[in-house]
Amino acid sequence: MKNNSLKTPFKTRLKAILVETFTQVANYAIILLLSLLVGAVVIYLTGKDPIAAYQALWKGAFGNWYKVTDTLDRSTVLIFSGLAAAVAFRTSIFNLGLEGQLYIGAFAAALVGFTVKGLPAVVHIPLCLLAGALAGGIWSLPPILFKLKWKVPVMVPTLMLNYIGILFTSYLIAFPFKDPTAQMAGSPVLEATARLPKLIQGHTVNIGFPLALAAMFLVHWFMFRTKMGYELRMVGYNPDFAASTGLPVNRSALLAMMISGMLVGLGGSIVIMGFFGRFMGGFSVGYGWDGMMISLLAQNHPLGVLPASLFYAALANGALTMQSLTGVPQTVVDMVKGTIMFFVTVQVFSSAIRRRLSTWVSTSAE
Amino acid sequence: MAEAIAVKEITKRFPGVLANDRVSFSVEEGEIRAIIGENGAGKTTLMNMLYGLYHPDSGQIFVKGNEVKAHNARTAIGMGIGMVHQHFKLVPSYTLGQNIVLGIEPRKGILIDEEKLIQSVQEISDKYSLAVDVNKVAEDASVGEQQRAEILKALYRGADILILDEPTAVLTDMETEELFVMLRGLAKNGKTILFISHKLREVLAISDNTTVMRQGKVVGTVKTSEADSCKLAEMMVGRETIEGRMRTEAPEIGDVVLELKQVNVLDERDFLAVQDVDLQLHSGEVLGIAGVDGNGQEELTEAIMGLRSLVSGDILVNGVNIANQNNRQIRETGVAYIPSDRNRAGVAVEAYVWENLIAGEYYQQPYSGSMSLRTRTIAQNAIDLIARYNIATPGIKTQTENLSGGNVQRLIVGRELGSEKAMVVVASQPTRGIDIAGTEAIRRTLLDYADRGAGVLLISADLDEVLALSDRIIVLYEGKHKDAGPVVDGIRVQVGHLMTGGEGECPV
Amino acid sequence: MGFDISRIITLSLFAATLRMTTPILFATLGGIFSSHTGIFHVGLEGLLDIAAFFAVVGSVRTGSPWGGLLYAIVACLVASLVFAVVHLEMKANEIIVGLAMNIFATGLTNFLLVAILDAVGFYQSPEIIGFSQVNIPVLKDIPVISELLSGHFPLVYFSFLFVLIVYILLYRTPFGFHLRAVGEKIEAAEAVGIDPKKIKYIGLLICGVLCALGGTFLSLSYLNLFSENMTAGRGWVALAAINFGEMKPLRSLIACLIFGFADALALRLQQFGLPSQIVLMLPYVSTLIVLIASAISRESKKTTPSKPQKGGQEVEAAV
Repeated sequence: MKNNSLKTPFKTRLKAILVETFTQVANYAIILLLSLLVGAVVIYLTGKDPIAAYQALWKGAFGNWYKVTDTLDRSTVLIFSGLAAAVAFRTSIFNLGLEGQLYIGAFAAALVGFTVKGLPAVVHIPLCLLAGALAGGIWSLPPILFKLKWKVPVMVPTLMLNYIGILFTSYLIAFPFKDPTAQMAGSPVLEATARLPKLIQGHTVNIGFPLALAAMFLVHWFMFRTKMGYELRMVGYNPDFAASTGLPVNRSALLAMMISGMLVGLGGSIVIMGFFGRFMGGFSVGYGWDGMMISLLAQNHPLGVLPASLFYAALANGALTMQSLTGVPQTVVDMVKGTIMFFVTVQVFSSAIRRRLSTWVSTSAE
Repeated sequence: MAEAIAVKEITKRFPGVLANDRVSFSVEEGEIRAIIGENGAGKTTLMNMLYGLYHPDSGQIFVKGNEVKAHNARTAIGMGIGMVHQHFKLVPSYTLGQNIVLGIEPRKGILIDEEKLIQSVQEISDKYSLAVDVNKVAEDASVGEQQRAEILKALYRGADILILDEPTAVLTDMETEELFVMLRGLAKNGKTILFISHKLREVLAISDNTTVMRQGKVVGTVKTSEADSCKLAEMMVGRETIEGRMRTEAPEIGDVVLELKQVNVLDERDFLAVQDVDLQLHSGEVLGIAGVDGNGQEELTEAIMGLRSLVSGDILVNGVNIANQNNRQIRETGVAYIPSDRNRAGVAVEAYVWENLIAGEYYQQPYSGSMSLRTRTIAQNAIDLIARYNIATPGIKTQTENLSGGNVQRLIVGRELGSEKAMVVVASQPTRGIDIAGTEAIRRTLLDYADRGAGVLLISADLDEVLALSDRIIVLYEGKHKDAGPVVDGIRVQVGHLMTGGEGECPV
Repeated sequence: MGFDISRIITLSLFAATLRMTTPILFATLGGIFSSHTGIFHVGLEGLLDIAAFFAVVGSVRTGSPWGGLLYAIVACLVASLVFAVVHLEMKANEIIVGLAMNIFATGLTNFLLVAILDAVGFYQSPEIIGFSQVNIPVLKDIPVISELLSGHFPLVYFSFLFVLIVYILLYRTPFGFHLRAVGEKIEAAEAVGIDPKKIKYIGLLICGVLCALGGTFLSLSYLNLFSENMTAGRGWVALAAINFGEMKPLRSLIACLIFGFADALALRLQQFGLPSQIVLMLPYVSTLIVLIASAISRESKKTTPSKPQKGGQEVEAAV
């Protein structure tokens, strides 16, 4: 047999890795710059100074330590939501029901938080989180069960359960679990033992953030280093191939949905337990949808969810400051986000960059 | 009689294969011409060129005496050529009448003139005696009726020359008879009919002349009344002695490793695709299943691999009945699978090479522990397999879609056979679409594996391949099996005869 | 419970139903065109948003609601064209493009709200000229019918009229015939010379126009204003209606009416302090039930072994 060891010349392999890395970095850089440019043009057209506006944006997100930690806090739920989307998308399941799963999970956590009394925080907090995660997971199951049992396509049921979930929790806090003392519709306040302690005195960020980081590493390990994660990914690549090779396609689909729902349910729980202190109607400003965008931006890679979430959180925080300091409306940030989404969808840059670079690398001397 | 359609020195090349090699023949008006040949003989390519879907590299096409240039489907229809494909192109929820007029609907203002539609279709139907219920919804119609609708679709557009691709493949015997009556009627009406088929009995029953193609060339055209099935089979497959026989030494044949008993399997349309098939595969043996595509091979391999349920029958691996178990259970009893459609069922093209290589065994020791994968062991396994099976890839972390077809197939073979645990190998069209070097390599690998004591079930529409590798041959025709026996001189024509539905033996 | 049901179920409730059905109905009709070409249009929400906004801008600029409608139609056509190019030419996944469109629409309208109209969150002004209600000549004198059917805004009548128009277009014209063929069996369409890409472009543009009508109704009828989140998920609801109706205009109309009724009823119940949420849930739950029921019936149709087999043999029940 011909000697064909895998030791292709180190230089060739190095070149391949460098080409890929550069492509990715260049791709994101271009998307980011173009989108910020679009934002700058838009700001300019409204008669304001783009530089000052972006400076204010930066200040609002990272200007001082309080801002930095606040941005971290804001990114917590986005990380969970992004991870939830990533797991589902990687298994080729369009779980559009993240909002609903978020609400249901958040309510379950709140429920355990205000009905169970007399537990020490060390027990109460994990219990609430567990309830939130399980509830979110269970809420994500019906659509996939319908698909497996009756071949109902997954997408519309996930959408329907969004509304049913949001309406149901809204009903719960308007009637059975109404807090009569509250101004706005909400559940009774959570016991103090169910509140998430702050990470640093005086800052908004709570232990939810490190939990999010832990979740990210856990999901990464799960998807890339475990048997089950491998199964999910293979099913996501090609279900026919998975079935022909004996991989458990149905079980993987169920697992992916369940994990997805659990993650986003956990995220919702943390928002309630860490920020609001009670379940409030409409508490989510589209965290579920943001999670989907974040995952797409991160190419559905768990580790990529962190920078993407931080970016979104930074934009949100920064926009407030930008508006108050320079008068540039917050909504410019929405434009930037929209433009980013457009470029991510179109994906023109990465393939073009990769191609150009590869030919350049292979034709250049040495 | 006038010439309806003729081709002169038509040549067409695709990457790596000469599909049509200076093909010439001519067909008269009112003639029913059969074009027969194995898979890959070049019949479909030729028909597609007549219909304008491809252009010849060189040569000429004449329709009614006029040379045709820069042809496409539209101009083909304009010249009176209509094609009925093997897989019908009918919109399921439309009526047969609506399907027939699709694209050229009679109009009343901006609306469709429903009455005129029904009337004009009924007229055509009556004129050519092709009975079709104009108002029946296509998906509710029988296959025979759907086919008549497809034929009417062409006639409605003024076709004088009809090209039918394997028209009887989906019909029952009775429906076939009905079709033939219709075709004879059409021919009497002056229509010219070309049909592709591999079913010699039918070809002999209906055609006036038969053109035989083989390996891109026309072997000859015979008057059907002067031919018999053995002669045609011989023309189709040639009568060379078995050259390129790869198994040079007599193999050591052992016990039965795979046995099928009266296996029956349905296809997507709930027809019986596999009927009462029996076979026995011994260790060390290569059992070839020959046959033209579409005679139940896919359904059979899927049933063996647990991807399709059996209606009845048993499948035993080393004595253990695995019928209707799931794919993983079947694999664990020691069955390996090389699927016919490698990009759909053999690999995940976007996944990395190492991910595809470990797909069979990732969940077993030493590749994983209780939960996690042992990535170093997996990587080492990938490196090993790449070396052993000569898979040309820049690395294990390359996306599989960057590999050539031959290398993808080597990957699949490496994955399936690399651990050397499988006692039964089900190899379906293993070298289809692969370069010469790859074909050699895959065939050699399969034989070596058989030499080491496994049983190899080789399902292939490539008769040369079957003859080169197999010890014994079974032919699948219309879902039923016929034992062609051990591979000896003269078997070529016998197998060819059986593949085309022939009965009895041919003189050697 | 102590409430008088006759105070809830009144004639005005049914009239309100028709009004609340209109925007959903337009979006649904638009989505039906898209679905029939094989494109599952997730961006309906974004189209409604764009339409609602530009209708207001147009109304202010031209001083007429019809001018507003024109602006909305143009804006939606542009948006639909972008969608078409990105999906059909650049081959991006239709779901992702749809989601991106929704995001982009929200961002754009929110931003332009500030930039053009100098308002944050919502914009209301006497300069917005909305449609006025129309009294139908004969009907307005018939006692019960008048309250139900007369006095609606023009677009309400249009929406129901369009159900008929869409039906005729899709099922009685050659164009609709070709369009549905592309979505149902593209090989059949191609084989007879129909250009699928052209059909899909047209389908998406028609969808844009219909959504423009729906979005205009939102901001220029009952309340003449534009606010963020004014569309309130109607674009998603339309998808449910399309599924419920299996892409058929009349069946989908029923779903839209159910949604409209639930909306109107819920509003009514809230006034009486009753749980509106449960009622609002009903349309979504019923969509689920219908989806499951249709899926089950499709499955059972497949495994009917009533067709003759090869060689004329019947087959016993499949395993």
